[in-house]
Formats: sequence, structure tokens, C-alpha cells
Amino acid sequence: MSEAATVAEPQPLLRTLAPLLRGLERQVRTWLDTRRRFPLTMLQRAELEGLADDLRRQGDALDVEKPLLTIMLMGGTGVGKSSLLNALSGAPIAQAAFTRPTTRDPVVYFHNSVRSDRLDPALRLCRLAQHDRAGLEQKIIVDTPDLDSNDLANREKLKALLPIADIVLYVGSQEKYHDKLGWDLFKEQRQRRAFAFVLNKWDRCVTGESGLRPDEDLLKDLKDEGFANPLLFRTTAQLWIDSAAKSGTWPPPTPPDLPEGEQFTLLRNWLELGLTRLEIEAVKARGVGQLLSSVSRVVDGLRPPDLTAESEKVKDAWKQTLAAEADVQGEVLVGTLEPYQTEVEHHFSVEDQQRYRGLMAAYLRFSTRMRYSKSGLRDRIPFAGRILPGAKVETPVEWNLGEFVQECARSAGERVLDQRTTALVNRLLVEGDQRGFPLALLNDPTSAVGRMDWRDRVTRAVIDSLAEVEREATNPTGWRRVLRGTLTTMANTLPELALIVTAGTLLFNFIVHQITPGMFEMSLIALIPLVVIIAVHLLILMLLPIRWQAIRERFRTKLATRMTEELERAYLKVPVDIAAALREERKQVDVLIAETKVVSDFLAERQQAAQVTELYGA
Amino acid sequence: MEPTEHRSAVGQLADDLRWLEDHCRRQPELSAHAGTLRLASALTRNVIGPFLEGQPARPLHIAVVGGAGAGKSTVVNFLSGTVVAEANPQAGYTRHPTAFLPTGPAFQWPTYIGFMGSLNRLSGEKPANADEDVYQVKRIPVSKSGDADPLSDFVIWDCPDMTTWASLVYVNRLLEVAALADVIVYVASDERYNDEVPTQFLHMLVKAGKAVVVVLTKVREPDAAALTDHFKREILGRLPKLPDGTTPAVPVIAFPQMPQSERTDPSGAGAKHRVLLLNQILMAVDSDASMRIRTVSNAAKFLSTAGAGLLDVARKDLAEFDAWKSAVVSGKAEFEERYRNEFLSGEQFHRFDRYRDQLMDLLELPGAGRMLGGFIWLLRSPYRWTRDYVAGLIVRPDVFNLSEQTVLTASLTGWLDKLQAEALRRSSTHAVWKQIAIRFDTELGPQARERFNQELRNFEMKETDELEQAGKKLVEGLEGRPALLYSLRSGKLIVDLVAVGSVVALTWPPGWYLLLIPVLVSATHQATELAVRAVAEGARARVRHQRETLVSGVLTTPLSTWLAEWPATGGSSIEKLQQVLHRVPETIRQMEQRVKAKAAELVPVKPPTPSVLPLPPGVLTEAPKDSTTP
Repeated sequence: MSEAATVAEPQPLLRTLAPLLRGLERQVRTWLDTRRRFPLTMLQRAELEGLADDLRRQGDALDVEKPLLTIMLMGGTGVGKSSLLNALSGAPIAQAAFTRPTTRDPVVYFHNSVRSDRLDPALRLCRLAQHDRAGLEQKIIVDTPDLDSNDLANREKLKALLPIADIVLYVGSQEKYHDKLGWDLFKEQRQRRAFAFVLNKWDRCVTGESGLRPDEDLLKDLKDEGFANPLLFRTTAQLWIDSAAKSGTWPPPTPPDLPEGEQFTLLRNWLELGLTRLEIEAVKARGVGQLLSSVSRVVDGLRPPDLTAESEKVKDAWKQTLAAEADVQGEVLVGTLEPYQTEVEHHFSVEDQQRYRGLMAAYLRFSTRMRYSKSGLRDRIPFAGRILPGAKVETPVEWNLGEFVQECARSAGERVLDQRTTALVNRLLVEGDQRGFPLALLNDPTSAVGRMDWRDRVTRAVIDSLAEVEREATNPTGWRRVLRGTLTTMANTLPELALIVTAGTLLFNFIVHQITPGMFEMSLIALIPLVVIIAVHLLILMLLPIRWQAIRERFRTKLATRMTEELERAYLKVPVDIAAALREERKQVDVLIAETKVVSDFLAERQQAAQVTELYGA
Repeated sequence: MEPTEHRSAVGQLADDLRWLEDHCRRQPELSAHAGTLRLASALTRNVIGPFLEGQPARPLHIAVVGGAGAGKSTVVNFLSGTVVAEANPQAGYTRHPTAFLPTGPAFQWPTYIGFMGSLNRLSGEKPANADEDVYQVKRIPVSKSGDADPLSDFVIWDCPDMTTWASLVYVNRLLEVAALADVIVYVASDERYNDEVPTQFLHMLVKAGKAVVVVLTKVREPDAAALTDHFKREILGRLPKLPDGTTPAVPVIAFPQMPQSERTDPSGAGAKHRVLLLNQILMAVDSDASMRIRTVSNAAKFLSTAGAGLLDVARKDLAEFDAWKSAVVSGKAEFEERYRNEFLSGEQFHRFDRYRDQLMDLLELPGAGRMLGGFIWLLRSPYRWTRDYVAGLIVRPDVFNLSEQTVLTASLTGWLDKLQAEALRRSSTHAVWKQIAIRFDTELGPQARERFNQELRNFEMKETDELEQAGKKLVEGLEGRPALLYSLRSGKLIVDLVAVGSVVALTWPPGWYLLLIPVLVSATHQATELAVRAVAEGARARVRHQRETLVSGVLTTPLSTWLAEWPATGGSSIEKLQQVLHRVPETIRQMEQRVKAKAAELVPVKPPTPSVLPLPPGVLTEAPKDSTTP
């Protein structure tokens, strides 16, 4: 390990890492802030936000000439964390007493060359104690409050500080070395930071009684946790404090009554000499590596499922349901027109008559008025609409299709359609769930579709279908067109022809044969064209009838098709959109993971070999 | 009181409490209650049960409890006067409880069924770190000095800890013994005494009304007084009230960090510490019987206070259950509204027209009058034709109505879908909804449909009946009252005749004015018809209203009751929870009364004796109450 290598090599690595980490943090935050279909739970969000904080903190901490290593003491109340710090510093900088819990405010022990504004913001608020020991120049030792006393605020303080630690010094005593609270916290943090272990009050562990010694027991537990060869220091801090107080010198002389196997000196040496600059870089780099792997693990866990196949299945299932629904809605809507069948027939007849000319047109105008006199009469009788059943909708005197249909759609909506829409949404949700589509994703967009302006859509559908039926009736296609053309031509020519022929015949007879026409012959001029007209009219009625039943059937089919289209357009895109959005979100997650991988690859390539493996479990 | 009766009550209560405990363990947010429930069931089995059974008060039980490494086994040795328990530097070494029997005459070991719950008594010997659901019983060897054992009435229990990460597995064994104990010796070291977990445990035991003696161990002699003070202020100052409402008096003594010579020779070199401890225990106990009665009645009181807290455990479940019920009820309202809007509002009940015609016929004259009626009918012919024509012009066809069957089926599907969607929506929030969502497609849905179809057949029969009856009532109402019928008939005839007569009389000699006769006769008939129509329409409206009531009564109400209760059927946890909540407070109340009665029986028989038991001379005077180490 040459001095040149330790100074030259790792420095650029960590400094280059800083902007990369900050860039990654920004990406994570942007990702967190984007609106997404696939929801994050509170816990997931909190975890990722914590990781983003750590990324920023690490980035800031690395962006300096000499990175600082934060070593944090963690343990139950009374195990001697403060005593340990006092013994290490040789002065009573941390309060140590028999009352539990002793330390309520963390103590930060750092070199006086470090300006306090370089400390992490969380540390600046603690009690600061500066020293001038060269061996600890790049290290900050933090004494924390306990994690197991009745004062729960202490535990919160510790948990707030832990993310800053690079190395956690897990301090145990004979009683507490594997207490549940400390052990749980160790297990929670062990993937994220380096751990070294201290078994303080070592004098209480070597009592001469039989059985497993606490250090052996702890090593066994640690081995089960994957720490095959952990750094474990057996110390009796109190004896060193006493010795320092008595002698007043630094370093203090070795206390005379030190129990066998006491290793405080080892701990001090490790902190001062063992953690060289190279080791510090390595611990820092390793910490970043672990942070990055946590980020990619957490983000990977947030990757939304791929629902493309499910969305197709849901779509197929929904198609059937929507078609059935459209059928019923069409039926109901046509049903509301039922009382006005006469008006509809009348309207169609009038429309149909536009193409007739001359005598036929005059005749048809007259006969239609006679035939549909009812539909006009009904409006002329006062109060009829109010007394008689089935006349809820006021018939407009002038035939106003739009207004009329709006009224129908309104009354149908009030009676049936609104409730059916609510029921339809529930049905669709249940079907979606049965096809394996998560209801949480489907719920809001589907309900939103259910709350759309369905009345307006229905009204438009009715108007359009009615217009279409009318267009079809007035502009038929195929053989109907030919037939109609023929009939129209016949109707427009035959009566006039008959009139001319009859009149001509009479005139011819009068002029050539000198036969004066009598009353009967004269009336033939009118009668024969009339007979022709009636015959043609009957023919038209027979071949191209305008009857409510026929209109109704066509109208219903049209309306059902139209409603199917409307419903499908609105609903079917919901699962497809969600699946597409989720695919997009999966891509985003993949991008984030790839970015993380770029940074960790960069780190792995340049990582230096150093003696730090025992600080991390398997 | 029959012995079997209280035995089964005790067993039932203990089982119910265990079930509640498991229920709490399944829900992370309730797991804090699990310990209390376990203690409650252990108190029922180990203390109340044997007492009601009439088991002897002797022996009393002392349980030594505390955090890992605090020195419980050492304290056990000091209680028994000789080294019996394996004191070991490994924290959390002891994994199951061990009972140490006094040296005195043998007594009967409790034989009550369910005693110590799931813990079996080990027949052989095993080291204290055997991690099994067992307890051992050992006998304290006769002391060499031959002194009488001052704790000859006591069984001393060495217990496992509750602080190490392994304790999750064995803390139940500790609770079992703690529940059994009459006196708790709470061991706290200078390191442990303000730890959260042991303190909570202490609070729980105080709430259960146990007599507690605190031993602070490993205290540095110069700190002893201050530390004891601090402990009294910080820990004891915050103790909960006893079941009887008083603040518990807890004596505290301090043990120093002892050298091995004192630790291993409790009745010799360590006697000065031992005497202090024994003294505090003996002072806490007056006599076997009264001590046991105190333990038992406090246990019963604890149960009744805990019983009040049991509802807390169930509150969330029951709130979710209520939410389900209200979802069912709102679904029912929607069902009824759909039926009303989609079917009833457009339904004309055309079968009813027949009864209207019958009613009209009734008003015609019978027998010879028919001739006259026929004549007037002839007169009215022009009117009839005009009327029919006009009616044809102005009466519109009815709005098309969906069939009743369609509407009912669609509404049911809507109702069930709504519930299912709701259950699915909420299934991630609570187990109750999750259960419903899982069982919906296979059980709830098909069962509900089947029920509905049965009720529908019933409904269809009834609705036809009702319509027929309403119609018949209309006709029979008139037929059944001949006086009214005849007066109506003759009234109509008289009006007709008067009209005809007056026209003839007023316009005599007959001329064109006679044409007024058909007009007047038609007018009277029209009036009658309108009246009959009004009556019939009234009846029709009533039928409509009745139909609504019928749907609610026959179809929806039974189904909604069934649906609302469904989550609490079929052996579900809600059902069990309801049963348990119903049963437990009642059983606890009975139990408390029985304990009171039994205690009242026992007390006069054996009045409390003075508290002092034979002790080595000088001991009592040496130890002031609540003292620290001298």
C-alpha cells in the first residue's frame, strides 16, 4: 500500500461519484413526483424518499477534499456508549452516570481542523466536542441516545441520526448484547452500513461461571446473520476512564486490574491507525455501493405489473357486457317513443311525400292530413295531455325533432338509464377483477367514464339514429331504389296521363264522332285519374309501407349499434389505456434501474481492495 | 355450584381469550393486546380455575422475572438459600421456567386441567436453556445448616427473560408463570431498570394485582441510595393503579455487584442480602389463604377490567362489518328504487280494466229493468260512437315497459355487483373485506341468487293474489252491500227517467227538442263512468303502492338481512368474534361473582394470621421497610 496510490487513486473516484449520486437523486425525486397510475404505498414512498435523502447526503459528503468517516455508537441504555467515548477521548466529554437513560443529546466528537459547517446538518444540532488528535482527523465519532429505555424520544433521535453513519459501532454489554430492540435495528441497518461490535463491561462477562461466554454467544449469533468474521472488541471502558483520571496523562497507562482478554487498546488502535485513508475511501465507496443496490432493489420492487394480456381479456369480456347493455338501452329508448308513434309515422310520411309532384302530391297532402289528423288534433284539445295517461311529454305543435328526442332521453334517463349506468360500472369492475385486472387501477377511470354526460350522448345517439333511419327510408338502396324510382315516376306521370287521355278521348269523341259527353262522361275526367291515383297510392303503400312497426325495428337496431359504439368508445379504452400507461411506467422504472446500474458499475470498476470486508456481513 | 359447571366455564373463557389473542396476533396493529390477553387466559386457567375447584392455597408461588442478564437466577438462589439455578453470563440463557419446591413437607402439586396451559411438565431433568414448551419442577436440597426454610410455603420459579430477540418464542412461558404467581420478584439491574420492555411487563403485572418486590441488582454501593430513589421516582412513580383503585406499594431493595464468594453462598456469605429480600416477601404475605384469595380476587378484577378493553380489539373488525351492513342496506334502497322507476312507474296493471268493466256492469239494472236499460243504451249509441272516436284520437299508446322479471333480475345483479365491487375495492384495507371478496364468486353470489329465486317464486304468487284480491274487493265491495248497490242503480235510473220525463214535459208537444233526450241520457252515463273510473284508479294506485311494500317485505328485506349477516356466518372470524364478545364479558362477570362467593366462604374459616413466620433471630429488626443495602 504505497502512500502515492492511496492519495492519487481514490480521490477522483469519490469526487466523480458525487455529481453522479446527485444526478441519480434528482431522477429518483422526479420519478417520485410524476403522476402515476400504479400507486405507491405510503411505506414504499417513504422508503424511496429516505433513499433519495441518503443519495443527496452521500453526494454532499463525498464532494470534498478529504471525506469524513462517521462512526456511530449504537446500543441500549447503560451499556456504556458514553463511557466508551470518554475512554477514547480521555476526557469526560459525554455525560456518563448511573441514572438511566443518561445520554439524551448526542455528542459529536471531531477534529478541530474540520469546520463545524462541514458536518451533516443533523449533526450540527448535537453537542459538539472538538479534539486535536491527528489519528482521528478524518473521523467523526458520535455518541447517540439509547434505543431501549422508557424515554421513547431517545429512540427517535437515534433513528434520525443513523442514516448519517458510515460505520455503526454496535455496543453491547453482558446483559444487552442481543436484546431484541438493538438486534432488530442492527438487522434493519446491516445492508446499508458497515458494522463493528463492542462488548463493553467485559469484566462482567468473565465471572468464572460455566456456560457459553457472551462474546462466544454473540459471535455465534453474528455468524447466523452472515458475519463470519466480525470485528468484535471486548472492552471495559470504565477502567480506562478511571486510569486516565488518576494519571492525568494521555494515552493513559494500562489499568492494573484489567480482566483477561480486554481489548480496548485494540479498539483505539483500529480507530486511530487501522482506519487509514484507504480504508475510509473503501468504506465510503462500499457504503455508496450498498446504497445503490438498495435503490435498485426498492425501485425494482415498484415495477408495475404488465397487464397487456389482462387488458385484452377484460376488453373482450366488456365488449359482450356493453353490447347487451346497449341492446337494453336501445329497447328502453325506443320504448319512450312508443306513445308518439303516430307523430313519427306522420313525420316520415311527410318527408316521403317531398318527391311527388302534381296531382299525386295534392292528393297525398290531403289524404295524409286526414289520416294523421289525430296527431294534430291531440294538440288542439286543451288539457288532453294532462288528463290522459301516457302523455307525460308535451308534443310540440311544430315537429321539432331535437327537442322532442331530448325530452324522450331525459325521461328515459330519469326512469332507467341513470341507474343502469351506475350498475354497469360495478358490473364492469367485477368482470375486470375476475379477469385478473387489479380493481384499484380500474376503479377511478371506470367510475369517471360512468359519470360522463351520458344523457347528452344518448340524445345525440337517438337523433342521429332517427335521422339515419329517415335517410334510409327516403333514400333507399338496391332494389328498393329501383322500385321507388319506378313508383315515383309512375305516381308523377300516370295521373296526369290518365287525365290527358280521358280528356283527350272525350274531346276526340266530341269533335270526330259529335258525341256530346253526358254528366257521367264528364265526371270520368276526374274519376279516372282519381282511380289511377288511388291505385298507385295503394301500390306504394303495399310495396313501400311506412308503418311504425317497421320503423321501430330499424330504429331499435340502429340505436343499439350506435349505443354499442358509444359505450365501447368510452369504456374499452380504459383497460387498454391503463395497460399502456403501466407499460410506460415499467419503462421508466427500467430506465431508473439502468441509471443506478451505470453508477454502480462505475463504482465497481474503480473500487479499491481494502481490508473492510469484515465490517459487512454476507 | 357444580364442579363441572365452573370447570367448563373456566375452560371456555380461557379458550375464548386464547382465540382473541390469536386474532390479535394476526393483525399487526393489534399485536400489542396479545400479551394482555395471554395473561388474562393464563390467570383464568392457573389461578381462578384451581381456586374455584377448591384446590388448597398452599403452596404460594413466587415468580422471579426480569430482563436478560439482570440476575434472575442469582435472585432465585438467594430466595432458596442455596445454589439451585444455573446463573450464567450468557444473557437469555434460561428458556423455560423451573419451579423449585421448598425443603419442607411435600404438598400436592396442582392437578387442575389446563394448569399452565400448553406447557408440559418435564419428567426428567434438562438444562435451563432447553427451548421447549415445558416447565421443570426441582426440589431444593436440605440446607447443611439444618435451619428451617423461611419460605417453606412457597414454590420459587426461575423464569426466562422478555428482552432478547429469541424471547418472542418463549415469552408466553414467562406469562404463564407470572399469571400463576402470588408474589412477583422483579429483578432489574443498574443497566436495565429504565428499559421499556421490562417496565411494560411490570405495569401489566401490577395491573393484574400481583404483589411485587423489586430487586435492583449490580448496584454500585455508593450509588445505591440515589439509584433506589431514582427508580422509585421514574419507574414506580408511573405505575398504573391496582384493580381496586389504590396505588401499589412496591418495596425496593438493592443488591450490589457481589463477588463470587457471596453469589455462590446465599445463606452464608451472602446472608445479609438474602435476609433483606426474604423479609420483604414475608411482609407482603400474611397467610397462605388470604394471600391466595388476594391473588385470585385481583385476577378476577383484572379480568373484568380487561373485559372492558376487549371491545377495543374487536372495534375495527366490527366497524368494517358495520360498513358492510350499510353497503347492503344502501344496495337494498337502490334495488327498490330501480324497481319503482323502471317497472312500477310505467306499469298499467291492464288486468285491472276487467274489474272496472264489471263494476260498470253491476250498475246496470237486472231482470225487467234490462229492457229499459237496453232502450237507454240504444238512445246513447251516437254518443258512444263519438266517444270511441275521440278516445282513439287522444289516447296515446303506453310507454314501452321492461318486464318485471327483467327489471328484478337486473336490479339483483346491480345490487350484488355493487357489493362485490365494494368488497374488492376495500379488500386491501381489512381482512373482513378480503374474506368477503375471496368468497364472493364461489359462495356469496350463487347463494344470494338461489335465495332470491326462491323468494321470487313466493313473490310472484303473492303479487298475482294481491292484484286479484284488490280487483275482487272492488267488485265485491259493492256486491256485498245490496242496499248501496240498489240505491246506486235506482238513483241512476231515476236520474235517467227524470231527465227523459222533464224533457218530454217541458217541450211538449214532441218536436225536435226530443233530441235532447239522448244528449241528457249520455251525459248522465258519462258522469257515472267518470265516477267509476275514479274509484278504479284509486284502487289501482293502492295496488301500485302495495306492490312496493310487497317487494320490500317479501323480496328485499329477507335478502338484505341475509346478506348483512353473511360475513358472520359459516365459521368466519367475525362470527366467532361476535360469539366471543357476547360470551366473554358475561363469563367474566359470573367468574368474578363466583370468586367473591368462594372467597367469602373461605375467609371466616381461616382468619388472617400475623405475618411473621419463623426467621433467624435479628432479621426483622435489621431490615427497615423499603430499605436499601445497609
